[in-house]
Amino acid sequence: MTGQCDVRRSGANQSEGSVFGALTTVEGAPPGVLAEVAREFSPRIEVCSPTEVVLDLSGLERLFGDARTIAEELRRTAADRELRVRVAITGTRTTSRLLVRHRAGLTIVEPGNEAAAVAPLPITLLGDLTTTAAEPGTRERGTREPGTLNVIATFRRWGLRTLGDLAALPADDLAARLGRQETDWQRLARGEDTGPLVPAVPEERFEQSLDLEWPVEELEPLSFVLGRLMDQLEAHLVQRDRGAAVLHVRLHLIKTDGPTREVHERSLQLPVAIRDARTLRTLALLDLESNPPPAAIDRVTVAVDPTPGRIVQFSLLTRPLPSPEQISTLMARLHALMGETRCGSPAMVDSWEPGAFAMKSFMPPDTNAIHTRRNIPRHRDTGNTSGDANGIAPVAALRRFRHPIPIRVHVKHGKPSSVAMMQRGLSGGAVDSCAGPWRTSGGWWESKGESRIPAPWDRDEWDVALTGGPTYRLFRARHSDKWFLEGVVD
Amino acid sequence: MAHPAVAVLESALRARKLDRTLTTTLPSWDWADPSCLVPMDVPLVDACLRGGLPRGQLSELTGACSSGRMTLLLQLMAAATRRGEIAAFVDTHDRFDVASAAAADVDLDRLLWIRGSEFGAPVDRAIDRALKALNLVLQAGGFGIVAIDLADVPAVTLRQIPFTTWPRVQRVIEGSDTACVLVTPEPLARSAGGLTLSLAGRSTWAGVSDRSHLLKGLDVRVRVVSPRKRIDGDVRVSACVP
Repeated sequence: MTGQCDVRRSGANQSEGSVFGALTTVEGAPPGVLAEVAREFSPRIEVCSPTEVVLDLSGLERLFGDARTIAEELRRTAADRELRVRVAITGTRTTSRLLVRHRAGLTIVEPGNEAAAVAPLPITLLGDLTTTAAEPGTRERGTREPGTLNVIATFRRWGLRTLGDLAALPADDLAARLGRQETDWQRLARGEDTGPLVPAVPEERFEQSLDLEWPVEELEPLSFVLGRLMDQLEAHLVQRDRGAAVLHVRLHLIKTDGPTREVHERSLQLPVAIRDARTLRTLALLDLESNPPPAAIDRVTVAVDPTPGRIVQFSLLTRPLPSPEQISTLMARLHALMGETRCGSPAMVDSWEPGAFAMKSFMPPDTNAIHTRRNIPRHRDTGNTSGDANGIAPVAALRRFRHPIPIRVHVKHGKPSSVAMMQRGLSGGAVDSCAGPWRTSGGWWESKGESRIPAPWDRDEWDVALTGGPTYRLFRARHSDKWFLEGVVD
Repeated sequence: MAHPAVAVLESALRARKLDRTLTTTLPSWDWADPSCLVPMDVPLVDACLRGGLPRGQLSELTGACSSGRMTLLLQLMAAATRRGEIAAFVDTHDRFDVASAAAADVDLDRLLWIRGSEFGAPVDRAIDRALKALNLVLQAGGFGIVAIDLADVPAVTLRQIPFTTWPRVQRVIEGSDTACVLVTPEPLARSAGGLTLSLAGRSTWAGVSDRSHLLKGLDVRVRVVSPRKRIDGDVRVSACVP
């Protein structure tokens, strides 16, 4: 009874007068070309895989003629794009897909004859039909779980070799053995569709352009143009709930480079999806301040690579952090002021090289992430009794000279006895206390003659306190026997 | 009851925020509200500060070389980042030691480090850029601590910075959750509601023999100077070498 219900339902799904075509080509064809060919004939296409497309051809006979004419036209259009295709035109998508995989050339099946047309086809085609890998941006209807091949193996153990054999089985008995869901196999074997065609949505471009009546040379008037374009872009992004992952600014210059006009193009990789027009405009302008166009501009184009919009959940219990838009704008301004490599978050590196560090982009983690970080108070055994009631003592910091400063050190009994500075602002004098030497070396394994990062080092470090003065960290470079000031304990 | 003309005048001054130019008309600071303070998580110092440095004010860490300025600043940043806030450090002469910050438990991901000019660059240009960077960070908002390091700038050069610079900075952070901290060799520009921590340091050593002799840390004397002498304390803390 269940099977009969399914059969009747499947008949209802199949709209009368529908004509579907399937196009398939060889592996290795340029991606997207097959879909382009299909779109020239119908806006309702379903991309099953990069090499297979199903298209709704209903109503095209009034434009081209009968199904064979349409098929030949399809093949000719594909040949113009240097594609060799198989074409099948039938009354259902399933039949078209099954036939196009099995038969070369053109295959036409009159509506109503689908079951008979697919009956002699091998049953293994069902596996091909349902295990095609879905590509990004495509829809794969009827994709089964990995148990698909097991079901087909079961059919083969039952002695079924063709789709006609499967279609001839009693639907009730089949449902009783495999379950109601598995009766879809029988519908496919009859060439019936299990669902409607889901048209592929063409990739949407988020781009705005403006031709200027008079060329613009300065950035200030350009900011108004960019603001207008960004407003339109923001509206488009909001409409589609998208944000910009990469912002492209193309400025067409009046300067020509041979037969073509020069284009000044900048691309900004954004740290998060941003669609705020003011932020995008500011980022673009700051980038153009650092990289100005070499000539006047008469056409401006802004485009973004879209990405799904951000969903932000704010908290009432934690202090709010600046939004990514604010941080991006701030970082862009700081980069313009200080230089791109001089602003960001510091990071430790896995090296014993003194003073080694790395810079990474400043993107503070979510406030809630603080709970996942170390939350254990520092308890150091400092041995002091005057410092802290809880035994938590501050850590003495070093002010490090990024380029160690050459100094003169008088050594007595193997220890520094006085320090003389050769730079203003730093005080020298007699050594009151010192500790060392702490010998370190590294980087010597790097091959010579190349720019070595890290540079090799081999030195003896000393902690030195001057009489009534500061506490320094000095080192003696062992290869040159010269002394340097590395930093101040502060 | 005040004369109506006086009331109008006071209202006009309040609207233009000119009433705060006199310390006698400072708004009462709620020292009992912990959300208005930035603690250092060093109990002795916090007790001396009655909770921490005030937000929305310009405070100072002053002292000579090796007085513990950087040590206390890193403590302040570590405490702020542990609470989930973000901090910024304008490093005028690029003297920040990342290993020291990591040892002080600063969450480096929450620290914006703005590296100033390298060694050898003109000092006035370095200060100019650092102050511009400070202004940008303060105007962006959202930072718990914003510090600028002017410790290695000669006193003569510091005095050449236009006086209007610091009131302008104060106006930017006024009413915000940001505590701005100057690290200077001598008191320079504390705001009316801010604090000055005057520091003096002495290195401490362990071991007697040459072999066991090593630098143990810094003994830092912190003297707190506040407007109207409301808070004035003197405390010693010991900092250890990591």
